[in-house]
Amino acid sequence: MLTKRQNLMETIKGGKPDRFVNQYEFMEIIMEAPLRTRPKPGETITNEWGITYSWPKDQLGAFPVHDEAHLLLKDITRWRETVKAPSVEFSDERWAPAVAHADAVDRNDKFVTVFFASGTFEMTHMLMGMEAAMMNLYEEPEYMHELIDFLTDYEMRYAEQIIRRIKPDALFHHDDWGGQIASFMSPDMFAEFFLEPYKKMYGFWKQNGIELIVHHSDSYAANLVPHMIDMGIDIWQGVMTTNNTPEMIKQYGSKISFMGEIDSGVVDCRDWKPEIIAEHVQKACTGCGKHYFIPCLTQGLNLSSFPGVYEATSRAIEEMSKKLF
Amino acid sequence: MSKIEEVKANVEKGKTKLVPGLVQEALDEGSSAMDILQAMIEAMGVVGDKFSSGILFVPEMLIAAKAMSLGVNVLRPHLEGGAAASLGTCVIGTVKGDLHDIGKNLVSMMVGSAGFNMVDLGVDVPAEKFIQAVKDHKDVKIVACSGLLSTTMPAMRETLAAIKASGLSGFKVMVGGAPVTPEFAFEIGADAYAADAGSAAVKAKELALSL
Repeated sequence: MLTKRQNLMETIKGGKPDRFVNQYEFMEIIMEAPLRTRPKPGETITNEWGITYSWPKDQLGAFPVHDEAHLLLKDITRWRETVKAPSVEFSDERWAPAVAHADAVDRNDKFVTVFFASGTFEMTHMLMGMEAAMMNLYEEPEYMHELIDFLTDYEMRYAEQIIRRIKPDALFHHDDWGGQIASFMSPDMFAEFFLEPYKKMYGFWKQNGIELIVHHSDSYAANLVPHMIDMGIDIWQGVMTTNNTPEMIKQYGSKISFMGEIDSGVVDCRDWKPEIIAEHVQKACTGCGKHYFIPCLTQGLNLSSFPGVYEATSRAIEEMSKKLF
Repeated sequence: MSKIEEVKANVEKGKTKLVPGLVQEALDEGSSAMDILQAMIEAMGVVGDKFSSGILFVPEMLIAAKAMSLGVNVLRPHLEGGAAASLGTCVIGTVKGDLHDIGKNLVSMMVGSAGFNMVDLGVDVPAEKFIQAVKDHKDVKIVACSGLLSTTMPAMRETLAAIKASGLSGFKVMVGGAPVTPEFAFEIGADAYAADAGSAAVKAKELALSL
């Protein structure tokens, strides 16, 4: 039996996997690594960038607060005065839990994985709001390029630190590039603003020992896949059924793999049922096949919003492995 | 190309710096404010259709709407009573328990660009607030309810039930958002479903004209 890591590599290289890669099993995500403050349910916090987030108790996640009093960047032309990158230097004490976690991982079995969020595009709209982030691409492109370069530089400086501290094997990087049925921007505009910064950034991670880049965007983004390949993404996690994943696998499978196809929005609900999850898993596994595909909830971490959904999905994938391998 | 056609073409392209001047030039040449407004509404209709078809994306839609808004500012003193809207009022909000506003904002912008006066109630809007807004505003033709989460679909159902139970009439209700399907919209008694901001504008206009 292959280790989880070996099985992942066989899957994404078109080799001989002996089962489906089961969701996030190949990644040991080092969540203890210091990065930025995140709110807990019921909290409102202002993080190290100065962005205010609120997580109302009855919600599934946190939201940036973009009212007049809290919006950080109100004028892109003055971003240098407003946007200050937090330090990427943390004490040995702060790093200790992450280092201990990474040291405890059997790297033959799993990839020691860095978690990084929010990505460059998300940061632009966290800082100034979605509408401004989108319109400034047209109205103030030079300032947007400057800001994106600044955010890229920040991430690379953080990468330097974490690479030195825990010597990760993989990066799990969040940046949502679309909604359910369309990418937020055209492929050309995406290329103009984000392709080169991402090539530089992902190139830096890879030049420094990262073997695997897993990018999360739980959205439609099929039209961006050529750019994803170009920037060095190995696995696109969060791929929704609206993308026609079987077709993408046929077209791009040897260059990038797809992780998802089980829409969290559909199966991860209060009245979830294991048999409904099993149906979706079966459809995903039979439709997408054994190569270049990892069945997974589209959720951006190894958990579910409602208790038991992630585990039920894993069990259904195990069943499909028994049937199809 | 006539000046009005230039206005239309430049709204479609989102030329925010050009449109106000072109609107002024069209007025100076003797075009009526209503004709110019109509041309801009038509331009936004084209933008909405292209957005629904996947030809245009969010930035293009936003920038076109901004161009139109700047053009309307030039027109406003020349419009009867200073009002740019002619299709009535649309009350819009994201239903209770849901804090997502991006999709709702896009719909609000496109429906507004189609000629409605928008009353945006924001996010996490309880049913009573939708009902109160219908009572508080004149000429409400559309109530639009948005929701992004599958967990807030019951709130959308409750909102529609409360609106129907209020006994208020003279308007139509439309719904949309990622988990909403045409079947669900029908099941909860909505008059229409829209899959995106472009089709929401088309649907809102159809509904208002059907009243």
